[in-house]
This record gives sequence, structure tokens and C-alpha cells, in this order.
Amino acid sequence: MTFDIKRQESYSRGELLLRTFFGFIYIIIPHAILLLFVGLAASVLNFLSFWIILFTGRYPESWFEFQVKYMKWNIRVNASFFNLVDGYPKFGLNQEHEGVHFDVAYPENISRGSVLLRFFFGWLYVMIPHGLILGILVYAVLIVNFIAWWAVLFTGNYPKSMFDFQVKYFRWSQRVSLYMAYMTDKYPPFTGSFDPEYDLPVTNDSIDENAEN
Amino acid sequence: MIENSQSIYYPLPQPNEIPEREREDAMGSYLMMFAAVAVALPLPIINLVAAVAYYMVNRRKSRFIHFHTLQSLLSQIPTTLLNWGLLIWAAQIWFFDHLETTNYFWGYLITVGLANLLYFIFSLLAAYYARKGQMYYFIFFGKFSYHQVFSRTKSFKYEGEGDITIENQPPKM
Repeated sequence: MTFDIKRQESYSRGELLLRTFFGFIYIIIPHAILLLFVGLAASVLNFLSFWIILFTGRYPESWFEFQVKYMKWNIRVNASFFNLVDGYPKFGLNQEHEGVHFDVAYPENISRGSVLLRFFFGWLYVMIPHGLILGILVYAVLIVNFIAWWAVLFTGNYPKSMFDFQVKYFRWSQRVSLYMAYMTDKYPPFTGSFDPEYDLPVTNDSIDENAEN
Repeated sequence: MIENSQSIYYPLPQPNEIPEREREDAMGSYLMMFAAVAVALPLPIINLVAAVAYYMVNRRKSRFIHFHTLQSLLSQIPTTLLNWGLLIWAAQIWFFDHLETTNYFWGYLITVGLANLLYFIFSLLAAYYARKGQMYYFIFFGKFSYHQVFSRTKSFKYEGEGDITIENQPPKM
């Protein structure tokens, strides 16, 4: 998985205020309406993928790409709403944000046993341990986000440690989502930091590919 | 692919010519019958909406996918109508007839049940063959879909096909 949100050198205070007071209306509501329908389609494909993997051992490639694009759209909106990037998140599955990089390598095969294990016991060995930590961390993220908001308002810069903390949270939760959506066989590590065994670094090539799309 | 310029139909792609990705996309069209189960909303319209959406998104990918998505969509229409009929009738019995059923209702219920069972079996079979890169024709819908997709009289542009303007024509006999 490649997940990164690029910290800008400076942030627009005007956009920050606009997002804070009206972001719910002009970002969240329109995106949420569309994402609701796309999310329904994603959940249908996810449900069917489970059965397809059981029978064929493969996640259908174009369905996999659809799920990645859907996740990317969600991340784009979240990054914007959490003030991690400036600019309005683009609508659509094929769109990109220059500061947000997310990609998942397509696995040729998915373990059927692992899929069954996740289906029946995923709540036990994934959702409880990861969910518990992420559930607690989300409060820390909200507090950090609140403090960072003031920092950006007064300085125009996002404090690096606060920025990284939030990116790590999103990376961690994304890994858990990928695993529970049967899109990878790798059990998510208990960290949001870059993990060379799990993550691929953002390269110039991947940035170029994103820009071309 | 066996090309026959005299044929009024485009040649059928053979299994070894169809990439796995296309086969999976074609197979997926038949699995849209489970969409209502996936969203836990047992309304007959959900499957049809899913089939229409799947058809619209995938039809331009290739003729093989177009054929299977169209056949899947068309074959779902009668089942959906039958299920709607059953749903409305059952709702009427539940709300207005104090759960008093007639033999007509039971006859209809069994018919709809059988239709769904047949639809289920044949759709799974079609999904299996689509995954293997093979054509599988339903009664009536198969012929109709084949004609719609493979007939040379139908002008439909697929991904990867450039804008071909036909200027050169054979001499008129």
C-alpha cells in the first residue's frame, strides 16, 4: 500500500476558516451524498468479492480498482475536512489530489482460508484490538486537529508532528480497512508509521501516474 | 478469432483470447442478483438497479462483457416483475386481508419460487461459463443479446477501439 499526504509549505488561512464554518455544507454534504451511492456499490462488490475469492482465489481486478478509487475519494475528502490539504476535493472516482497519494498493489491471489478466518473471526482478532486502539486514538486526533487549527490560523503552517500524527492515524485505519475488505492478506501492523514490509514509498513514478490519471 | 467478412455478425472471441479481467467482469454481471442480499434490503428492485448500473459501467469494455451484462440484465427483468407482483400481493394479504390467503396466491407463490430457482441456477451456470471465457445463451435473451452485441448493423464503440470512419466501400453489385 502507498499512503501519504503531503504537508504543504504553507496553508491558506482563508480556506481554513471557510472549511471550518461552511465545510460541512459545501464539502461534506455534496460528497457524502455521492459517496453514499458509491459506497453502496462498493459494499455490494465487497460482499460478492468474498464469495468470488472463496471460489476462485482471486479478487476481480476491476472491482479491486473500483474499491481503491472509492477509498481514495474518501481519503481526499477526509484530508480536506481535517485541514491536511488545501483545495476542494475533486468529485469522481478517477480524480486525484496532488497532495494525497494512495494506491494498493493488486494481489494476484488471496488466501481463501484467510478470507474465511476474517469473515468469521475478523471482529475478534482485527476489529477488537485495532478498533480499540483506533477508537481511543481518534480522540487524540481530534484534539491534535483542534490545536493544529489554531497553529495554522496564526502561523499559516501546519506543525509537522501534529500533521504526521494524523496521517499515521489515517494510514493505520486504512490498512485495517484493506485487510477487512479482503484486499490484502497482510495483517495490519499496530502502527501508523511507514512500514517497509507493508508499505511502498511514494515515488516520483507514482506521483506522475496519479497526475496522468 | 475467426474473421468472416461475409458474416453479418462480428466473430466471437474465443476463450484463449479473452483476458482474465474481462472474464471476471462478465461473470460479475450475473452475481448482481445478490445485490439485495449484500445491502440487506430485500426489495426486488435493488437487483435490477445493480444490474442496470453494472451494465452501464461495463458495457463499453468489450463485446464479450457487453453480451453477458446485457443478457444478465434482460433475464433479470421478468424475475423482478414476478417478485414485485408477489411482494404487492403479499403486502395486500398482510395489511388488508387479515392474512387470509387463496389458492391463487399459493399457485403464484410456487410459480415465482420456481422462476427464481431457475433464474438462480442458470445465472450461476452463466457466471461459471463467463469466468471460463465461454458464451452461454439463455432462452430468448441469449439470441437477442447476441444480435444486439455482435451484429455488424449495430454501431457501438468499445474501449480501445479508435474512431473508425468507414469511407472505403466495396463496389455496388
